[in-house]
Amino acid sequence: MKNRIKFVGLLSHAVVAVSLCSLLWYTGAAVAFDGLGRVATSDEVKAWDIDVRPDFVGLPKGSGSVAKGMEVWDAQCASCHGVFGESNEIFTPIVGGTTAEDIKKGRVQSLKDGSAPQRTTLMKVPTLSTLWDYINRAMPWTAPKSLSTEEVYAVTAYILNMGGVVGDDFVLSDQNMAQTQAKLPNRNGMQTKHGMWLPSGKPDVKELRCMSNCKPDARVISFLPDYARNAHGNLQDQNRLVGPVRGVPTLSPAYNKSALNNEVNGRVQEK
Amino acid sequence: MSFDIPSDTPLGLIRRAPENFVSRSDIAFINRASDTDRRGFFKKAFAAAVATSAASAVASTPRWAHAAQGDPVILNLPEHSKGLGQPVATMPYGMPSQYEKNLQRRESPGLTRVGGSSVSFCPLQGLFGIITPSGLHFERHHQGWWDIDPTQHRLMINGLVKKQMVFTLDELMRMESVSRVHFIECGANSGMEWANVAVPTVQYTHGMLSCSEFTGVPLIKVLEYCGVDLKKGRFILAEGADGSSMTRTIPMELVESGEVLLAYGQNGEMLRPENGYPLRLVVPGVQGVSWVKYLRRIEVGGKPYGTKDEAIHYVDLMPDGTHRQYTSIQECKSVITTPSGGQQLLSPGFYNITGLAWSGRGKITAVDVSTDGGKSWKTAKLQGPVHDKSLTRFNLPWVWEGKGEALLQSRAVDSTGYVQPSYRTLREKRDDKSIYHNNAIQSWRVDAAGEVHNVHVG
Repeated sequence: MKNRIKFVGLLSHAVVAVSLCSLLWYTGAAVAFDGLGRVATSDEVKAWDIDVRPDFVGLPKGSGSVAKGMEVWDAQCASCHGVFGESNEIFTPIVGGTTAEDIKKGRVQSLKDGSAPQRTTLMKVPTLSTLWDYINRAMPWTAPKSLSTEEVYAVTAYILNMGGVVGDDFVLSDQNMAQTQAKLPNRNGMQTKHGMWLPSGKPDVKELRCMSNCKPDARVISFLPDYARNAHGNLQDQNRLVGPVRGVPTLSPAYNKSALNNEVNGRVQEK
Repeated sequence: MSFDIPSDTPLGLIRRAPENFVSRSDIAFINRASDTDRRGFFKKAFAAAVATSAASAVASTPRWAHAAQGDPVILNLPEHSKGLGQPVATMPYGMPSQYEKNLQRRESPGLTRVGGSSVSFCPLQGLFGIITPSGLHFERHHQGWWDIDPTQHRLMINGLVKKQMVFTLDELMRMESVSRVHFIECGANSGMEWANVAVPTVQYTHGMLSCSEFTGVPLIKVLEYCGVDLKKGRFILAEGADGSSMTRTIPMELVESGEVLLAYGQNGEMLRPENGYPLRLVVPGVQGVSWVKYLRRIEVGGKPYGTKDEAIHYVDLMPDGTHRQYTSIQECKSVITTPSGGQQLLSPGFYNITGLAWSGRGKITAVDVSTDGGKSWKTAKLQGPVHDKSLTRFNLPWVWEGKGEALLQSRAVDSTGYVQPSYRTLREKRDDKSIYHNNAIQSWRVDAAGEVHNVHVG
């Protein structure tokens, strides 16, 4: 009997503990939102949860060949990105600027020596998941999310083929994504050793707050050339009609200084 | 030509076009003429002004006109003093004055090649205080913008939560809300200027910057409501509902601070469509690309996601050829907005040097201003309010002598003690090949004629 009471006691302690937990839970942020929202159905989560991470969590099963990718590319991608993914007409180029040596090392040399005229996608991207994910969610430009899983694999494979990363007979699939990612020319080219990820991060530069005699000479080292004076339109039309300043009328050459001095002194000598 | 105005007549008011084009003898004519003749004259003068402004710089500069009797705009009562004005609600949603049309969002010619993936810059040169009018807020779209029916919009929370949930706008707007003032700056703001001067005005050098009062719900509260696993779930993925379904990873530390908001309000009204109507993420201190617009989903996960704008764009190229990935914080920065590039000072004398300062790491504590290219500095006055991770307005009185040249600079300090760096300091560490996170000190050269130019100072 005594034991039994003890057992009941334990049980009621446990019940109290559980209720305390829920009490704490409901007196927290949760109480304000009581009754709001509903549980998502699994079909709903499946419809929207399309992201693919660099560890390939989220990657759907499937495959696509370089050959198939070329078909899709020519029909749906080449008009913007060029037949060889090299076009700079509408977007920055996807293919170019990488070498076989880069593929071996995983570092793109032209990023260091500046030899490539443009920084292409393949020069930068370290993770194949990124390409797959973005093509799947955002391409083609005017009809995003219209490609089938096979087409996404195929186009991804074709881009790699144009960049010399895989051969003409290659078939990309969920089974070989990781191995293929390990061939990307800039796979070792990223770093996160910087203080700009979190507010508490340490800045990489330290400027002194000098107040006087800070530098002997202050020289203008860069300025806009005269031919660019009107490159952004007439700046007179980009400033208010009243106030301490006016926009400069850039349709005309820079002022003749002596004439302007007369002008700003407010005593224009008319003849 | 002779004038009937003595040359020692005191200076009058600055007069606006078309009066700018009126010579002293013309003024004499106007003052003698009948009203009918006067109107005819102004029509002709205005037509002439339009014609000459394109051809002659001098013709379109402000002039001082002064008549013996006084200023015609005082002496001759204008229509608005003698007639009946317009009734209430003529414009149920008010618009700026017709005379303010010069201040508009503008694209930078040649920067991008397709408007659906482009940027329009905010006209900082003409704004006051710290709040950006919503209609002038800078735009950055990755796949065009939409005006989404808010009754058809949903927010899904999934991943490492006890309950994966869906919320309507009705439900999000029933939650306890907060309103906070924060700046938003594109990570590529001033990106064109890394290596050399490239654009003429502050609209283009710094105009991917805006500041609003945002209203919404702290994301952490909604995540807690869903039973978030904060031990394993150290990152979130924010995803948009637009074509590009923009995605960015945000560390949970930022969310846990309570600062990250699910925002629907902006400056007292709903978000503008160009800014993510009806729901966007607000991530104070962090670059604009993380403030995902048309927000449809938050996934809680254990690792960063390596999205397109974390692995191909918004990565900072360093001198050794590596890219810094996940650079997010907008470090302390400032810029003088008046006088600034492409502006013309009206006459020698007093000016208020004014500008904006901000920091993604906290509050602005000081702004120093130099008029000699950084040889010497004076501390400007901060104009309140000074909010955390917000634009802060500064002012410094200045007298322009009307001769020689001045090199204007501003240098901000934030609550962590960080001092905004010069180009030299920044380039020594990062070189000049990065597109992103240029927070260097901006220089404006005021030439002897009072025209202001964008320059880099070494």
